Amino acid sequence: MTDDRVSPQRPPRRPQVFRLDDRDLTLAPPEPEPDDSSAAIPDPARKRSGAVSRFGMTLGGLFWTAAGGVASLAAYVGLSRLVSDLYAQSPVLGYVGLAATAVLVLVGAVLLGREVAGLARLAHLDRVRDKAASAIAQDDRALAEAVARDMLRLTADQPPLARARADLRGHLAGIIDGADLVRLTERTLLPALDARARQMVSEAARNVSVVTAVSPRALVDLVFVLYTAVSLMRRLAQLYGGRPGALGMVRLVRHVLGHLAITGGMAAGDTLVQQIIGQGLAARLSAKLGEGVVNGLLTARLGLAAIAVTRPLPFTALPAPRLADVATGLLRKAEEDEAASPR
Amino acid sequence: MTGLTRAIEDARIAFATLADRVDGLAHPTLRIGVTGLSRAGKTIFTTALVHALMRGGRMPVFEAMQSGRIARAVLEPQPDDAVPRFAYEAHLATLAADRAWPASTTRVSELRLAVRYATPRGTERTLTLDLVDYPGEWLLDLPLLDMSYADFARQSLALARAPARAGVAGPYLAMVAARHADALADESHARELARLFTAYLAACRTEKLAMSLLPPGRFLMPGDLEGSPALTFAPIDPPALGTMAANSLGAMMERRFEAYKNAVVRPFFRTHFARLDRQIVLVDALSALNAGPAALTDLERALDGILAAFRTGRNGFASTLFRPRIDKVLFAATKADHLHHSSHDRLEAILARLVERAHARAHGHGAALDVVALAAIRATREAQVRRNGETLDAIVGTPEQGQEAGGHVFDGAEEVAVFPGDLPETPDALFDPSGAGFRGIASAPAGEVDFRFLKFRPPAGIGAGAAIPHIRLDRALEFLLGDRLA
Repeated sequence: MTDDRVSPQRPPRRPQVFRLDDRDLTLAPPEPEPDDSSAAIPDPARKRSGAVSRFGMTLGGLFWTAAGGVASLAAYVGLSRLVSDLYAQSPVLGYVGLAATAVLVLVGAVLLGREVAGLARLAHLDRVRDKAASAIAQDDRALAEAVARDMLRLTADQPPLARARADLRGHLAGIIDGADLVRLTERTLLPALDARARQMVSEAARNVSVVTAVSPRALVDLVFVLYTAVSLMRRLAQLYGGRPGALGMVRLVRHVLGHLAITGGMAAGDTLVQQIIGQGLAARLSAKLGEGVVNGLLTARLGLAAIAVTRPLPFTALPAPRLADVATGLLRKAEEDEAASPR
Repeated sequence: MTGLTRAIEDARIAFATLADRVDGLAHPTLRIGVTGLSRAGKTIFTTALVHALMRGGRMPVFEAMQSGRIARAVLEPQPDDAVPRFAYEAHLATLAADRAWPASTTRVSELRLAVRYATPRGTERTLTLDLVDYPGEWLLDLPLLDMSYADFARQSLALARAPARAGVAGPYLAMVAARHADALADESHARELARLFTAYLAACRTEKLAMSLLPPGRFLMPGDLEGSPALTFAPIDPPALGTMAANSLGAMMERRFEAYKNAVVRPFFRTHFARLDRQIVLVDALSALNAGPAALTDLERALDGILAAFRTGRNGFASTLFRPRIDKVLFAATKADHLHHSSHDRLEAILARLVERAHARAHGHGAALDVVALAAIRATREAQVRRNGETLDAIVGTPEQGQEAGGHVFDGAEEVAVFPGDLPETPDALFDPSGAGFRGIASAPAGEVDFRFLKFRPPAGIGAGAAIPHIRLDRALEFLLGDRLA
């Protein structure tokens, strides 16, 4: 009998019936308690797309690696020469110099480690988002479960989500399809975080518009807008579990600006009108106030882009925040000011 | 003649639709058709659906319920006075008290449910759901509308003479061979022919053969038409020469076939089917796998017939007013609890393969179509068995009394673990045109079949107050209702 028709690798297994007192039988627990630490997390390890050469490295990467190597060598040579010079002057001075160098290197390594960890966390957010997107596209249960577990870990330090996490953990044991599980994860864990993110963005936008309106010099505005924008991005990343370091911030800012450049064109349709209206309204009042509203809107746009790049899941089950959601206060305030000003 | 009949039918349908729509403006109403071939689990699905909406339960994927937006769902008097009510309470009582499956659907029945819910923005609204439960066999009658008696007779006899059915069709075919269409019409002969034809159809439906394509549908579920001339006909070979004498047996059969279309098929189409908004088609693919390749091919053809009946397509403005169209169709492979959940994707793939052609057609018309493996009531648990160094994913349940596997007859109380066999990774392996895709109980000895799906009793602990365990019922609800509750 040729049994190549069911599975080419393996002969088909005949149906069988077992008694429940069979020693080799393990019943699935009715409500399995998923254990985060022991669960095997399948990592699909999707390759990040990019111009990667045959040797697994881009030219730019090679350049920076080489530059880093040369710089480290120079630093090493400089330091060792300094220490030996000091030693030549007085042995005590040499030991002090050596100790200082050791502390320098040690702390530098720790700082570097923290930066790397921050970068890794940001990269992790990106990876989770990619995984979630493909889990939805392919309706892949294993991938979706990995995403859900990642999300549980990312939100583990958020006490108000304890109940939502417990709910989700319970649902992991149920029979739910991949795409549905990702949407369920989003609906369960993220509404509270999204609301806070929206609030942060809208507060930042308001602050920027007020400070711009009352500040005496353009330089002050600029500094304040930059400061607010960077701290907003940082806090959003923290909210969604990113906690970036300094290097991470640089990457995040680049990421956000890139996102803004891509979506800016598309968003122009719905935001430009509002911006012009806001500007027109406020400009009649005072140029300064109009500037404030524009800067506020800019911050709000930046905030939305930051949400899009730091949120670990794509917006599928929940609606993505729009400019109107985070800038309503801004526009209303401008209108109120206008209404109040003639008196 | 037929042109005129059709025009009148269309006018009546358009009028009924218009009346429905005017009514729908004041009270948003959604008519959901629940259908499926015999033993697919229509009654159970409807019961579980009503229970879930009224009592809630573990429904993570059904967003409106999970987020708590559904305030309550209550049963209301149904709008159609001439249609029997779906006996929800009685079915639930059977499940709870006797731990037995409720009696199967033999006629159309209806239930109205008013769902009070809050939209995501916070306004409270009411959506009225009309659940219409009707046998899928009746859908197989719809293609008869476009057929003449001669076409019908030719197709039916060809089916009966196919090798898979010839065994049970023997007595009927012998009778057909003895009677000539030119013979004088005789009521007793007609009755005898109809009786043997019905017996043959019934024999095709047993667990061993599990055939699906058995028109005309009312022969197996006659209801109050039993014994009437409209049900007393059968396909016989048409005469060699084109015309039949007015008083011949053939002419009598032809007259009655037309009467069947007018008295049975057209009213069903007009009063029930043409007014549906959404449709769920339950398919028991596992029984066909149980029985063998012939049953699977038959199921595929039957589904094809059912699908041809759907006038699916997105509702446009004009079509909304006059010609209703079903805008969402969900195909559900029921009894998914008879498989370990790791095999559900494969079951879905088999179902998707079965409805492939319909999928292409509906896609062209813009109707949403989805395929899901579900169990409206989950009767089993899962387990793993280590045997000969490999792990088998098994399910644990209580087989019904009289079920038999591996030479063992169950008493209806014993709980056992069953490994039902491996579904193939790609469904094409099963649809081998030579009929050698797999072996079922219809042809192979009991020890050599590829799949064995036992019938399990319902789980204990079902009650009016408790939630019923299920598999993916929430996903089905989300697909059928989710957008109307948003």
